[in-house]
Amino acid sequence: MTKEQRLIKRHRAEKRFQFYGLLSIFIALLFVLVLVSNIFSKGSSAFMKTVIKTEVFYDQELLEIENGASRDDIISTDFFDVTIESLLEVFPTNGLEEEKQLINLFSTDVELEIKSVFLKNNNIIGQKIILELTASDDIDQLHKGNYPRDLPEERRRISDFQLKIFDQLVEDGKIKKNFNNYYFTKGDSRDPELAGIGGALVGSLYSILICLILSFPIAVLASIYLEEFAPKNKITEFIEININNLAAVPSIVYGLLALQILLSTIHLPRSTPLVAGITLALMTLPRIIIPCRASLKAVPPSIREGALAVGASKFQSVFHHVVPLALPGTLSGTIIGLAQALGETAPLILIGMVAFVVDIPASPIDPSASLPVQVYLWSESAERGFVEKTSATIMILLSFLIVMNFLAVYLRQKFEKRWN
Amino acid sequence: MKHVKIKSKNLNVFYGEKQALFDVNLDLNEKEVTALIGPSGCGKSTFIRCINRMNDVIDICKISGTIEMDGVDINNKNLDVVSLRERVGMVFQKPNPFPKSIYDNISYGPKIHGKGETKSELDAIVENSLKKAALWEEVKDRLDEPGTSLSGGQQQRLCIARAISVNPEVILMDEPCSALDPIATAKIEELIDELKETYTIVIVTHSMAQAVRVSQKTGFFHLGKLIEVGKTEKIFKNPDNKMTQDYITGRFG
Repeated sequence: MTKEQRLIKRHRAEKRFQFYGLLSIFIALLFVLVLVSNIFSKGSSAFMKTVIKTEVFYDQELLEIENGASRDDIISTDFFDVTIESLLEVFPTNGLEEEKQLINLFSTDVELEIKSVFLKNNNIIGQKIILELTASDDIDQLHKGNYPRDLPEERRRISDFQLKIFDQLVEDGKIKKNFNNYYFTKGDSRDPELAGIGGALVGSLYSILICLILSFPIAVLASIYLEEFAPKNKITEFIEININNLAAVPSIVYGLLALQILLSTIHLPRSTPLVAGITLALMTLPRIIIPCRASLKAVPPSIREGALAVGASKFQSVFHHVVPLALPGTLSGTIIGLAQALGETAPLILIGMVAFVVDIPASPIDPSASLPVQVYLWSESAERGFVEKTSATIMILLSFLIVMNFLAVYLRQKFEKRWN
Repeated sequence: MKHVKIKSKNLNVFYGEKQALFDVNLDLNEKEVTALIGPSGCGKSTFIRCINRMNDVIDICKISGTIEMDGVDINNKNLDVVSLRERVGMVFQKPNPFPKSIYDNISYGPKIHGKGETKSELDAIVENSLKKAALWEEVKDRLDEPGTSLSGGQQQRLCIARAISVNPEVILMDEPCSALDPIATAKIEELIDELKETYTIVIVTHSMAQAVRVSQKTGFFHLGKLIEVGKTEKIFKNPDNKMTQDYITGRFG
């Protein structure tokens, strides 16, 4: 082979390698794009809900309550009859079966909605007010175009009569889409139109907060001790190896550990953010210690020597010079560790966070849901409405993770000091 | 006859199994510059790192024999290493300013030793140290800027100022000019010449010319042994030992 031929061959090899590299990046991006667009197309509709404009007559005879009634009186008053009477006005019906079908177009919570309007303004007895009442899940999905209306009637959850009403309402402009406030403010529910991530969001925040409070100081102190003070011997080496091993332990194992120790032995309250936070902290500890030690290691020894040479003690050289320089790396490592903890599902399932919890937790020792487990729960539900809710919740979770990762990068770049 | 500031007696240093210094007996005179020369890995740096006990950081390092400063053993259990390093400053091969402001670089030492309680006292120490290190005129208007933004030569003078700031008696310099260009080197050498009026200086160098220019006494190390020590003039003009002769004339090393 001549010199020129060898040169050409070398150039070709380089070109080939670059092409493979580009191809793999392209494939990776394609996967991300497919995933994100799939989630987005399925989930974005969950942020809107279908409402039906309904004229509600606050009839004194049915309510047995005066204008200006006190809050407690209103709460204890039954709004059932007013609700039924108002709903039945929406469309002419014939017989009990049709009445039932008409009422089923609405969410089960409309009585509360009608009551809450009165709670805000207790001077509307005897008035007719047009309210936008939440539609049932089936109508919601039908309106959003997710419902196959061309199936034969016996295979549909929506009857022909209900379709007829729906079409009439659409024609009259009485059906519209509003921002879905329930999705953000309510807890879980068996009815998709009433289910929200409020409980899961608060539960996740409590869990992550507890995880942060426990894992950050322990991890940072452990890293500083191991990296700067611990004698280099067999025991230290053994501890180091085991920390690295712990970071690779499947998260479900931490769930089993928590189930045995926190729930069965110490009897902490089941399904609570407290237990979730402790479990996640156990899991996150090695994942923070590793980047924290790496950033301590990255501080050049000359900085330590410089401090020691002017007479700083070991402690002073570490805390005045090394730790401040390692802090950006430590913080970003912590945030990424927390982001992983936020998306963790398996250990939370084991400690009972799969329980069906409707209430939004008021404290970390109340039973609660969490975002990833909520995704898991909804993905198993049969109702159509939960499909979009699942995807929407993934979107919320992903956006939290993206924000946290950006924060980590930002902190590292902003506060990282250059040394020569 | 000058007063002997530091006296090493039968100093042996081991890094684990490896012996780095063999029975070194060396006297360092007060307010004089002693240069240590010799090929790489001959133990010069190891020797000066014993004087401020920098080797304490290395777990596997073991020392036998004694080093006395003003007649007191520095490895004495009652002597705190922090107060030793307050009296023995050090300047390293590569400039290593803290990634902080120029002011903070200088004021750090006095602060941790409780010198300069008030702001004005600290200001005075900073100004004085920078003046002694011949850096004041260049940086007096930008004391808030990071020390790392200075040029290499300025950084090294900053490190010298940092060493001076705690008012030591001895300054150890470990090849302070090896990372610098000739102009910066000349400035440092000039500075060393002035500093010897106040401080006892030990300088490790690879440049024979530098040893001749700055030092009054020179020690030649080879393979961990102190081969010859004497007045700089004598060592370079008329050494007793054949090996010294060969080294300074460039036949090995």
